[in-house]
Amino acid sequence: MSELKHIDPRGPRFGAAITSVISLASFILSTSLWSLLFGYPLMVLLFILFAWSVFSPNNHPYQWLFKKFVRPRLSDPVELEDPRPPQFAQKVGFMFAIIGTLGFFVITWLIPIAAAFIFLASFLNAFFGYCLGCQMYLGLKRLGVIR
Amino acid sequence: MDFSLLAPVALVALSSAVGIAYKLLAGRGHKVNSKDVIDLAKLGATNHALPMTQLGQKATLVQFTTEYCGQCPGVRRTLSQLAYRTGGLEFCEVDITNRLDVAARFSISQTPTVFVLNSDGRLVFRVGGVPKMKQLGEELEKLGVK
Repeated sequence: MSELKHIDPRGPRFGAAITSVISLASFILSTSLWSLLFGYPLMVLLFILFAWSVFSPNNHPYQWLFKKFVRPRLSDPVELEDPRPPQFAQKVGFMFAIIGTLGFFVITWLIPIAAAFIFLASFLNAFFGYCLGCQMYLGLKRLGVIR
Repeated sequence: MDFSLLAPVALVALSSAVGIAYKLLAGRGHKVNSKDVIDLAKLGATNHALPMTQLGQKATLVQFTTEYCGQCPGVRRTLSQLAYRTGGLEFCEVDITNRLDVAARFSISQTPTVFVLNSDGRLVFRVGGVPKMKQLGEELEKLGVK
């Protein structure tokens, strides 16, 4: 693999904070049938945001927001981070967003369930610095699930 | 109580509990009762890119690292400084990015993972994640490292 551009670890955490708010809103709104009208579009929004960061992370709106408004207010990062584990974590999030989005056509209960998992992972990342998806990276590599 | 209100409260509470548990438990090591004697040469351990085969007189710290590990460089700095300042303690590193067999052999599921070896090279203590330095210091003291 060629030289990877290392990233400021606070970038993904900032994105995760926004994701946690959207997913919590989606969770609250999709637990009752009438409010699903609002909860489902939020799940679709998560789907779009995750797809964006999986397929074209460099021009993602979170990154733009972070660079424009957050990064200038922070001190220099102590340590830069390899982008592979957070990118893998985005793929895990994307998988849940696919389940949630398809849930509308299969069982609507899948929407709050997917939203709950996305909330749990993004909340832990944003507020505790614990990246569930990243933790799974080495373990899954060991098992040969990912290369 | 209305379910629509209870569910999100429960979700946030559960997530917070997981986060707090992580903060408390991460980097806390545990004793290992193994007869495994670890051969640094066989592991391909290095210290600042130089091969490292000699055990510390009292103890050796072995850090397992991967290229994509964000917290590894910081832990490397802390531990190699500790070894530099401390007599009888050596520090070395094993990059397991492409050596998943080593990860499997020692059941390493996250990096950094730090092993504490005694003077015979036997694994006596291990930490997954960024080590809590106070606890690690106490373990090293038991091995006679001051």
